[in-house]
Amino acid sequence: MNFRTKLFLIFFLTVGASVTAMGWGVERYTRDAFEEAEAARTSALVAQFQKEFSQQGEEVVNRVENIAGADATVTMAMRLAQPNADATIYVHDAIGAAQDHGLDFMEFAQYDGAIVSSAQYQARVGYKNEWIGAAQDWGSSDAFLKKEELPDGVALSLTAVRTVAVGDKNLYVIGGRRLDESFLASLVMPAGMRAMLYRNLEQGFIPSALSGPAGKIEQAEKFGPLIEDMQKNPRQIVETLEWSRDAADAEIFHAIPLLGRNKELLAVLLVGSPRRDLVLLLRRIQQIAVLSGAGALLIALLVTWWVSARITRPVVKLAEGARAVAAGDWEARIQPGGGGEIRQMGEAFNEMTRTLAAQRERLVQAERVAAWRELARRLAHELRNPLFPLQITLENLQRARSLSPEQFGEVFQESTQTMHAELANLNTIVGRFSDFSKMPAPQLQRTNINDAVRNAVRLFEPQFSAVGKPVITPEFYLDDALPEIDADPDLLHRALQNLVLNALDAMPAGGALKLRTFPLDKGVCIEVSDTGQGLTPEECLRLFTPYYTSKQHGTGLGLAIVQSVVSDHGGTISVSSEPGSGSTFHIELPLRPPNYPVIPGGDAPEPDSSPSGHDSGPEKNS
Amino acid sequence: MRVEMSRSASADPRSWRAGTEEAATGARLAALLFDRLVDLDDYGRIQPRLAVAWAHDPAFLRWRFTIRAGVKFSDGAPLTPTEAALALRPLLAASRQLSVEGDALVIQSVSPMPDLLLELAAAPYFVCRAMPGGALAGTGPFLPGATPAAASANGAAANFPDATARLIFRANPDAWSGRPYVDAVEVTFGVPAQRQFYDLQMGLADIVELTPDLALRAAQGGLRTWTSAPLTLYALLFDESLPAAADPRLREAFSLSLDRASMAGVLLQKQAEPASTLLPQWLSGYAFLVALETNMDRAKQLRAALPANFASSAEPLRLRVDAPGDMARLLADRVAINARQAGLQVKVVNRAGASGATLAPDSAAELRLVSWRYSALLAGAELDSLAAGLGLARATAAAGANSAQLLAIERRILGEHDAVPLVILLESTGLAARVHDWMPARRGDWRLADVWLDAPEPPSPAPLKPAGAQP
Repeated sequence: MNFRTKLFLIFFLTVGASVTAMGWGVERYTRDAFEEAEAARTSALVAQFQKEFSQQGEEVVNRVENIAGADATVTMAMRLAQPNADATIYVHDAIGAAQDHGLDFMEFAQYDGAIVSSAQYQARVGYKNEWIGAAQDWGSSDAFLKKEELPDGVALSLTAVRTVAVGDKNLYVIGGRRLDESFLASLVMPAGMRAMLYRNLEQGFIPSALSGPAGKIEQAEKFGPLIEDMQKNPRQIVETLEWSRDAADAEIFHAIPLLGRNKELLAVLLVGSPRRDLVLLLRRIQQIAVLSGAGALLIALLVTWWVSARITRPVVKLAEGARAVAAGDWEARIQPGGGGEIRQMGEAFNEMTRTLAAQRERLVQAERVAAWRELARRLAHELRNPLFPLQITLENLQRARSLSPEQFGEVFQESTQTMHAELANLNTIVGRFSDFSKMPAPQLQRTNINDAVRNAVRLFEPQFSAVGKPVITPEFYLDDALPEIDADPDLLHRALQNLVLNALDAMPAGGALKLRTFPLDKGVCIEVSDTGQGLTPEECLRLFTPYYTSKQHGTGLGLAIVQSVVSDHGGTISVSSEPGSGSTFHIELPLRPPNYPVIPGGDAPEPDSSPSGHDSGPEKNS
Repeated sequence: MRVEMSRSASADPRSWRAGTEEAATGARLAALLFDRLVDLDDYGRIQPRLAVAWAHDPAFLRWRFTIRAGVKFSDGAPLTPTEAALALRPLLAASRQLSVEGDALVIQSVSPMPDLLLELAAAPYFVCRAMPGGALAGTGPFLPGATPAAASANGAAANFPDATARLIFRANPDAWSGRPYVDAVEVTFGVPAQRQFYDLQMGLADIVELTPDLALRAAQGGLRTWTSAPLTLYALLFDESLPAAADPRLREAFSLSLDRASMAGVLLQKQAEPASTLLPQWLSGYAFLVALETNMDRAKQLRAALPANFASSAEPLRLRVDAPGDMARLLADRVAINARQAGLQVKVVNRAGASGATLAPDSAAELRLVSWRYSALLAGAELDSLAAGLGLARATAAAGANSAQLLAIERRILGEHDAVPLVILLESTGLAARVHDWMPARRGDWRLADVWLDAPEPPSPAPLKPAGAQP
């Protein structure tokens, strides 16, 4: 991943994260704001309910007081206070009183709590209301919630009690209104909200005890856990109920406990507020956030691409310049752009390349001088060897002029032969240098490396078992699955000949010549090993330098030729060796050298009849 | 004379179902149109009606009734022993054989019939004659008259299904017993109790039926009321085929928990009497010997010995109210409260509607609240009828049994708590001030032929119109 891509990604992710954070923040803020409004609405409704509850209670108190103050009630109280009063004549009076005063529940009870008349449960007449005697201050008490027993079950009542005292005997007037759907219907609900009442008149959760203004509640069982929680610990609870898989159908319920006179839980008011508006709003915000985020990201994509390109352009130029320098273009320069550090970096690069080019030029010149000196030394060395016999022979021939003609003739004959031989030697030396300078370009064709290796070794087979010479044993470790490569079989043959010849020279006392081939990832590897004395690290470093040789009679061109061939094939050559353990040359060749045409159908060259039978035969790296 | 009734009924004795309020209403209508052979006066003496004389053999196996001569049915046909036999044949038991001897009707049986006169003096043994078309003609003091709402000229013989039907009975000037004092009796059926009360107060009705609470209010309000003997029994019946009710301890606990005195004295405002037996004292003569006291402690002990699930909150006893009317519902609620005090949970189900219509008795229930309107003058016959009507399996044939035997039968029934009597309700009638000679039988017969009314006040003169005024 390049610098520009990294920079682009960093910018892009930064912008994306910012947009996401902003969207989340807006959603969060909206949700909080909405829920605050929701809480305010619910609080208002609860306050309204409490106000309504209080007003209803006051209304009940007023009506009960009116009944208690009525002449008929006072008369009843006076008669019942008399000894042996007949209470049965009032059995139905509560019904009329309830009807006249718009109460759902009405009872008259004697001083001992015995019910004289009951509008809601006539069958209980004669039974005692034990609770009524417990309080002494009914005259000023407010209305309270009460569980009212009815023939068909129980109901919830907002009840008030007043007394009509005659002497020390009270007549209790107990009136109440049913707390039910009609009561809920009297509440003015904000749009979308609804109120429900759970009458907690039996143990556990009874779905039928839950009702709304319209009566029965659908899926009432969903309120079970909430109500049971409330029954265990009466307190205000807020809970969200899911009505379906769609979150928009959920409702937030505020459960408010309604307690009786003894703080017992008699009912639970449930105020529900739908989450649909909130959910739809949030979904809308999410949609907007996604769209605006996508737009912002697109803009960010373009902007950051442009910005990153602008920022990285000098760096790219710098990298291109560096690559050009690495490729050998020592004159590569970049145009420093922008300003600040980027410009300084470009100028520094240019200065660096100028310095490197100058140093390289000096180094090349030094190496060239050194090479010419080495060549001159080698040429002097090589040429001095035949020249010295020539000089001696010529001096002998001059001195032989004083000898007898027969003797001179004999000396002349011998001297000319020597001079011919040395001149031939001189010619050979010059030829070798000439050959090295005229290394041909490879003619590539499909080549079997294993065959090339075998052919190269086959030339030297006579020497392996020659009489009077040390025994050298060739060992082949050739991979049959080795792929064919595109190579010049002649040049490859010549290079291998040189390596084999070097190996033989390295084993004057005999040994094993090992040849190994094996495939590489994208090429092949050839290894030629000997069991000679090996090379020192210094020798290894200088081994492929032209005209370098560690032998008395070498030209120093053999391994240079090998390296030239390998290099022309796009390969590499290296040597590994330890003194006393022999040496191994590693040649790695690609399956196809770059930028070379391939001649189809070529085969590896047949071996020459002798190691020197080729014009470009192996050169001893001597 | 304007009469208002709560329910409609048929005057045809053959259609009456014993023990029901409809039968009682039907008997009151039938008394306007038809006569029995004999009647029972307020002193318990048999009085001749269509039979002027009667005789029996020493063994009471054969009775001979001499039919009154010169009596004609409303259609003009003369009353003959044959007509009387035809009328009574469907009403008498199959073991009774009827025959005609000259001017006499003979009733024979293989078993003694010492109380035949008392039997015939009670509903439904009216003599009537079937006319073509199904209507009935009678010899009573009134004739079926115009029917503003419906019915035929002989509508008295028809059922009156219309809850607000009105029927007018004209005085029969040729009645053998003499023309009644009033010219006509206008009977309106299906009038709610409260409306009857108001109509009586406002002078829109002369005779109305009063429920117990209204009877008390009427008395308190200074209106004329008349109260009958206890006539309608309210009782609980156990369905022993159901496991909970099969346990006699539960039935006993239930019975012991009931406070009958409060039911009669408080709830029903003394318009009823606590019932200790199935038959009332005035009919049986032995009721005072039996006491069904409330014993809540014993009831709780018995309850504690019962399986916990019996009559528990989870599995309450079901009490089905088969008896009609709001009062039955009130009694059922009180029964539930009493039982709850003893630890027996009761759920009242299948209540009868306020109008008194009985709901289909198909729902299973361990308990049923039933009512029985007495109609016979013989305790044994009534007990047999009651046992048959209410399905009391342990009751044995009581007809002809003496009081001691009847008491034993009742003790057996009450001892097993198959039936638990609650209260016996009195019947109250409201009377307008202009009604005179109101002398009904204590057993509920109204005897409207003897009643006469004050002449209505002349209508107030219309106000004079001013001269020149346009109509």
